[in-house]
Amino acid sequence: MTTFANSLPLNMPLGRAMGAMVLALVAGFALLGPVLVPGDPFAQSLMKSLAGPDAGAPFGYDHLGRSLWHRLAHALRLSPAIALAAVATAGAAGLILGTLAAARGGWVERLLVILADALMALPGLLLVLIVLAIMPGTALGFWAGLSLVLWVEFFRLTRAATRATLTSPAVQASRLLGFRAAYVFRTHLWPEIAPLMLTAAAFGTATTIMGIAALGFVSVGMRAPTPELGLMMVELLPYWREAPMALLTPVLATFTLLLGLTLLAGGQKQ
Amino acid sequence: MNILISRLAQAATVALLVGAATFAMMRSLPGDAAWRIAAGRYGYDNVNTAAADAVREELGLGGHWFPAFMQWMGDLLRFDFGVSLVSGQPVIAEIGHQLGASLWLALAAIGLSLLIGPPLGILAGLRAGGWLDRGLLVVSTGVKAIPQFLMALILILILSVQLGWLPAAGYGAGRHFILPALALALGLAAVNARIARDAMASIAAMPFYQFAQWKGLSRRQVLWRHGLRNVSVPLLTYLGLQFVMLVEGVVVIESIVGWPGIGHALVHAVFARDVPMVQGTALMLGLGFVLVNALIDLAVARIDPRGAR
Amino acid sequence: MTLLQATDISVSDGATRLLDPVSLRLEPGEPLIILGETGSGKSLLAQAIMGTLPDSLDAAGQVSIGTRHLRAGADRAAFRRLWGREIAVLPQEPWLSLDPLMRAGAQVADAHRLVRGLPRAEARQQASADLAAFGLGGAAMASYPHELSGGMAQRVAIAAARAGGAPIVIADEPTKGLDAARRDDVAALLLGELGQGGGLMVITHDLALARMIGGRLIVLREGAVVETGMTADVFANPKAAYTRDLIAADPEHWPARETAASVGQTVLRAQGLTLSRRGQVLIEGLDLTLQRGRILGVTGPSGCGKSSLGDALLGLLPPDAGQVIRAPELAPTACQKLYQDPVAAFARKRSLGQSLADVARLHRASAGQIETLLARLRLDPALLVRRPDAVSGGELQRLALLRAMLARPRFLFADEPTSRLDPITQRDVIMMLAGFAREEGLSIALVSHDAALIAKVADDMQQFAQPRPDTAGLRDSGKTMVA
Repeated sequence: MTTFANSLPLNMPLGRAMGAMVLALVAGFALLGPVLVPGDPFAQSLMKSLAGPDAGAPFGYDHLGRSLWHRLAHALRLSPAIALAAVATAGAAGLILGTLAAARGGWVERLLVILADALMALPGLLLVLIVLAIMPGTALGFWAGLSLVLWVEFFRLTRAATRATLTSPAVQASRLLGFRAAYVFRTHLWPEIAPLMLTAAAFGTATTIMGIAALGFVSVGMRAPTPELGLMMVELLPYWREAPMALLTPVLATFTLLLGLTLLAGGQKQ
Repeated sequence: MNILISRLAQAATVALLVGAATFAMMRSLPGDAAWRIAAGRYGYDNVNTAAADAVREELGLGGHWFPAFMQWMGDLLRFDFGVSLVSGQPVIAEIGHQLGASLWLALAAIGLSLLIGPPLGILAGLRAGGWLDRGLLVVSTGVKAIPQFLMALILILILSVQLGWLPAAGYGAGRHFILPALALALGLAAVNARIARDAMASIAAMPFYQFAQWKGLSRRQVLWRHGLRNVSVPLLTYLGLQFVMLVEGVVVIESIVGWPGIGHALVHAVFARDVPMVQGTALMLGLGFVLVNALIDLAVARIDPRGAR
Repeated sequence: MTLLQATDISVSDGATRLLDPVSLRLEPGEPLIILGETGSGKSLLAQAIMGTLPDSLDAAGQVSIGTRHLRAGADRAAFRRLWGREIAVLPQEPWLSLDPLMRAGAQVADAHRLVRGLPRAEARQQASADLAAFGLGGAAMASYPHELSGGMAQRVAIAAARAGGAPIVIADEPTKGLDAARRDDVAALLLGELGQGGGLMVITHDLALARMIGGRLIVLREGAVVETGMTADVFANPKAAYTRDLIAADPEHWPARETAASVGQTVLRAQGLTLSRRGQVLIEGLDLTLQRGRILGVTGPSGCGKSSLGDALLGLLPPDAGQVIRAPELAPTACQKLYQDPVAAFARKRSLGQSLADVARLHRASAGQIETLLARLRLDPALLVRRPDAVSGGELQRLALLRAMLARPRFLFADEPTSRLDPITQRDVIMMLAGFAREEGLSIALVSHDAALIAKVADDMQQFAQPRPDTAGLRDSGKTMVA
């Protein structure tokens, strides 16, 4: 029973707490790794091609002799940064449009719903690919394309929760008592929407990171020599017999990052 | 009836979106697009300025964007996708070639995922909180955190490279199906197991489920007569939405294992800026989603007579 | 011959005793009623006898049916084999107890086929005959539950429960959420089950139902037996203090109301009001006057438009025709409402104290007014730190009344405010409500499905008839299911 204060993180379910911890670990490495062991993710040294770990490169070297430690840290900053930017944009857009649609109704709502339904029918990666072809700059293209794909989920959640809440006796009572829209939003809507937004944001971030990596892996996403998780895997794949650990490094990092996000999102789905 | 009308509206909007997006893609093509299109049509040897001008005229590439856009959308609504800029073949013919291969892969993946996911989910949901339920939660969370391309990579490394049981790539024989279908199915199963589990757990807690047992029916009879029927509704609805996830997976997996399908073609088309191919493929995938979901709507309406949900 | 005997049944949750040992016998042709409020342990007792207690609870004692002796809380599989064959359980809310995706006929036929082992065609014939015996024609066989009215669903559920041929019938709260007319109907159906010399056990909080069923009575309170005896004797001459209170709390026994000011000043007036919901006309050409200090009782079956009338009076539902005229001096917030389910009427994740403080601030209530009202409504100030779902229904409804009073209302629409409360709590809340009318001159429209209650407290009456199609009743009841 969650009768008394849901004060985080005491009451946070175990899975979520674990997810937050895993993410803190990954973020810690991405931000502090290059500080602890200074180095350059782009510097090549063919002498050290696929060499094992040493003091300057605790995770060893890739086929071009670049430090995997530094490439990984760079990659773990890049796609999460793009993902967070896209999720923040999409979340804000979805929240505003979803509340607007539910509160206004009429043709505003109908139009937004039709647009959201149509976007849902199109594979997200395809939209991202098209936007990438239009926009100059890969990171900017990813941000724009992913925002375009992601807002739909936030919109649907916000609209559904807002609709249900606005017709509840609690909101009716507040209106009868003379409270204004801002109070209704603050005390009735936001407490319902916020947990949904957190879950959707974690899922959205995970999908985004998966998408960037998948496109990198099939060579239509980030371009070499940028260190990116999917790109690193496809670059190291031909050498996996000589240096299995080198390939495993980005694989494990991706899995850990996504596992943290999946746990943070919690059990409930949509 | 209402369902079909809203699905038609969805299809129309999908076409509009795809048209607008690919039009923007066309207008932002680097270099002289007309020249490239003319080359695609007539072959590089036969292109001359006149031919390029004719194409430029036809597509309105040089002029104001609005008439060009109307022209573009008009072609799209007549299902005239033009010819591939790369192969010079009509887009329709190219897609016709590739659709079959993708369809079989998708069906194999869905079928496999339904064999794995829902049975486990239903068993877990019947004993919510039991060891199977908790085990399934851990496994499905882990699998969900593995992107499909990574799943394919892992399966290739284990099943084909290390153990040598299956070919890593290729197309034609039945054994070529197993690896890509499995890579797709595991991810799908992880999610639809959760859906089935949640649905089963909530249905098993409903008064009618207990009441059926009070009538004297055994656990198995109640599951068979009432449980499966009720679980199928949310599961079907979810499968429709999962179609997008499946398509995305198909696009990526096909590229990895060299499957001659629509996804493989799409990635190539994007890479080569073959806009007519991108447009045709995107439209096909989007309308495919609408069609699948319309069929599911009809199936659900048959099972669940309560209508408008 | 005793049909069922339960000896020293007790239930506990770990070290906490929830139900002290209870023994009972069920004789053929003589109903047994277990009467108690929410939390009295009556449902635990029934669950222990039926073998459906949750695993987390422990039970002790013995249940004997014929030659079989079962240990309560153990022998799960043995209890299971009784269901449908020895014990028929009638569900609380019939439309929730039927599979929404299966036709009614099949749900009855299933029991004939799978429990009694009849061949498919014969099972269908038998099901059809069962439904016909309840006055349900052939159309009911092919209907889905959502197409049935509440009364029809109840009959289908009874037919399905009885198809296995069990001689003992257990009905757990069979009148939950029903209006008076449907309650009488259910009592008649239950008594009909006794005809063939079967056994009937009814678990209820409903005094009127208990009186109608008769037979023997066991009164439970806080997990212990308070009183037993023949139902008619207990009602005529209750021995235990609690039973006396309970019976006195029945609206039938309330003292007659104090007469209100003869003619008060008009607060609200409805003229030629016509209302409809989802295209169905509910109220046509209604004229109504609400006066200062007077209580208007509104009665009628479910779905007749009582709630819609409230929405129209409060200005939430625009009428199709006619108008609602407010007295010119009324502030915009002078009309307030009490809800049937008070939990749904408060912000879910805000403490009650915060919610009330917000209202006090908005309406510039004088300092200490909340405390004054708390005392007047006999509420513990310690409740204010809790959330709405952590206080009892009676306390929350009084807090809702307090919240409404902070807005200094002139008119209060009370929509079945006590239909989910136990009798004693119900009387307290209604008396406080009436107190505000008498002392503060508040005008109240009180909706209830209990005609006796309205007769005792209302100064004026507005009675509605059943609207045309029966399905409206089903919809309205759907909304009361939340519990």
